[in-house]
Amino acid sequence: MLDDVDLTCEAGEIHALVGENGAGKSTLAGIAAGELSADAGEVLRDGRIGLVHQHFALIERLCVWENVVLGHEPRRLATIDRETARTFVRQLGERYGLDVDPDALVEDLPVGIRQRVELLRELARNPSILILDEPTAALSPGEVERLFSTIARLTENGVGVLVITHKLDEVFAHAGRVTVLRRGIVVERRPIAEITREQVARAMIGGDIPSIPPHERTNGAVVVRVRELAVPGAIENLSLHIAAGEILGVAGVEGNGQSALADALAGLTPFRGSVERPTAIGIIPQDRLVEAVIPGWSLVENAMLGRERAAAKGSWRIDRAAARAQCTAIVERFDVRTTSIDAPLATLSGGNQQKLVVGRALIDNPAFVIAYNPTRGIDIGATATVHTELLAARNRGAAILLISFELDELFALSDRIVVIARGALRGEFTERRFDRDAIGRLMVNA
Amino acid sequence: MKRESVRALTIGTLGVAAAMSLAMLASHVSPILGFNAFFYGAFGGKQQIAETLASTTALLFPALGIAIAFRAGLFNIGAEGQLLIGGLLAGWLGTRIDVPPALAITAIFLAGALGGALWGAIAGWLKAARGANEVISTLMLNFIAASLALYLVTGPLRAPDAAGPELSLLPHAYWLPTLLSQTRATIALPIALLAALALRYVLDRTWFGYRLRAAGEAPEAARRAGISLSKVALWAMAWSGALAGMGGAALVAGELHRFNTQLSPGYGFIAIAVALVGGLEPLAICVAALAFGALESGGLALQAAAAVPKDAIHVIEGLLVFALAARRYLGAKGAAAQ
Repeated sequence: MLDDVDLTCEAGEIHALVGENGAGKSTLAGIAAGELSADAGEVLRDGRIGLVHQHFALIERLCVWENVVLGHEPRRLATIDRETARTFVRQLGERYGLDVDPDALVEDLPVGIRQRVELLRELARNPSILILDEPTAALSPGEVERLFSTIARLTENGVGVLVITHKLDEVFAHAGRVTVLRRGIVVERRPIAEITREQVARAMIGGDIPSIPPHERTNGAVVVRVRELAVPGAIENLSLHIAAGEILGVAGVEGNGQSALADALAGLTPFRGSVERPTAIGIIPQDRLVEAVIPGWSLVENAMLGRERAAAKGSWRIDRAAARAQCTAIVERFDVRTTSIDAPLATLSGGNQQKLVVGRALIDNPAFVIAYNPTRGIDIGATATVHTELLAARNRGAAILLISFELDELFALSDRIVVIARGALRGEFTERRFDRDAIGRLMVNA
Repeated sequence: MKRESVRALTIGTLGVAAAMSLAMLASHVSPILGFNAFFYGAFGGKQQIAETLASTTALLFPALGIAIAFRAGLFNIGAEGQLLIGGLLAGWLGTRIDVPPALAITAIFLAGALGGALWGAIAGWLKAARGANEVISTLMLNFIAASLALYLVTGPLRAPDAAGPELSLLPHAYWLPTLLSQTRATIALPIALLAALALRYVLDRTWFGYRLRAAGEAPEAARRAGISLSKVALWAMAWSGALAGMGGAALVAGELHRFNTQLSPGYGFIAIAVALVGGLEPLAICVAALAFGALESGGLALQAAAAVPKDAIHVIEGLLVFALAARRYLGAKGAAAQ
């Protein structure tokens, strides 16, 4: 995973660690924090190194203060001294600008607040270095700003912060130094003032960034029409339409009804209201390993998923030769890099797995495509392939619903953007006049 | 056969041999004498081999059925009840028809399959329509099957000439032809082997088998790809029950030659172990069924010759399943930790 890597983080600095998925960033963080062990080399530390994981490790059924003091609870004889614990958590929050109700249950809190709890838990142990692994992955723009003002306050207090990310905007806005990791090797390390975005991006992927072909605006007939859609507990009175040859982007913070919208349009969940859509539909689910593929199965078997009946061509027996040919076609057209189409899918990198998923959804040229975070957690090269193919499908006349938590992705691909918050559409931006600040405000419904 | 199943079989065989040696030592029997008696009981002569093959057959049908359900992610532990209902319908039909023997035997097997399928489909339907946990429903349906069968054979369907609670004897012409004369080894064995081959083909080569495996392996991915988990649950349970029910028909037409409630001494439960030891692969299950068949008949000989209780054999079978389940669990955890 990692080869002869050295990294320093100094008191009071913000050090960005960037690299593509699979470059070894999280492994390095785990080793630094003592959660993983290295085969060779050592970690020298002055004080405690705290690590906030990308996927939070909070106990949902416990409240905020319980999570924060877990493991070093203030005691009074055999019981926990609740008042001391509450006061401690409140004061800690005030000191770092992380206000959270100590008595709120974690399961009731939105993602942005949970992250504050996670930060508080690490800060309660007085770390000298704090490592944040992809801290902004699930945050709205406003929450990102808040997070970085908290980080600034930490560095004022002498804490060194190592931020692992792949968002270069954040690196250049906030970090003092940047280290680029590629395939387990440090390929670049410089103060931020001495390097450009372009150079960092090139170092990350080890070559030029593939460019996305320009939009060609096509004015098609409306093929998807949703009227007064309601899904209990998730969506209230939502109407939208998508024309052939149009990408409709849905911006929003995770957990605001996007999943219910995708499922209702795919026909996977009961709903009220009306949905008119073509029957030929390609779906790129959001959680690849759980919702899209069977990791232990071969590429051929995965490429068949959802098309197995077609692969039998009216008989009971699956036409294996045709299934293999189909898989080969996807692998070639969508640049899936694999040693063999009979290899288990799990042996491929996330990006290549995703290219197969995207290829499976698009290869039959469906008239309607639902793409839900189609590039989440995959590297720049694979992202470019996915974006190119989505645009190509659109240019062939597909209506595409693109749900994404990445505003950059929505801006790059969408013809129109709607903002979803708390299960309803809060605004629409057309003809590429996308206003990042306005969209960000609508996302948090301010 | 997959490498995984070969490994499971090897480990299982060695584990059983070791456990049996311990059981013999605990009973103050020399393992050499004990194994001698055991192998004589299982393979020592025509009669012994036939007994082993008869047990193999009785276990193979329900084990294949269980494999279908398990591969679809459904823990069908109701094979015993499905076998009983299948046997009941087969035994009833066999006394009611008057056709050429070949046709009658076919009809008896089909009746067994139908009875088992209906009984399995109840649990499948409850799962599909109401989300009822199939472990609970199949387990409970075992009791209902036993009580229903007992009610029918003591009441409405009881043979007028019968000494106890049972159906009438099948006409002699409908008894299954034997493989070895004067024994209980019948043509049900090759039928079961054919069923295993057919099952392998269905699972590997047909879209139904593909859907079934996908639903078992990754239900969420299957559902999102448009596979109806409800339909899979219903059909997988029906086919699972059908095979168990054919096992009931084989016992009725091949061994008892009539239906009574003593049809199965728990074959439907031991078959769970057979299916798991066979790694849910049809061909490996055939080998596992032979091994368990040998344990059944050899175990009786061991009890007679060396006073090692036959229940010790069942304890060993249980330990074997336990060990395999633990190994699989630990294996999964190991993979997750990587």
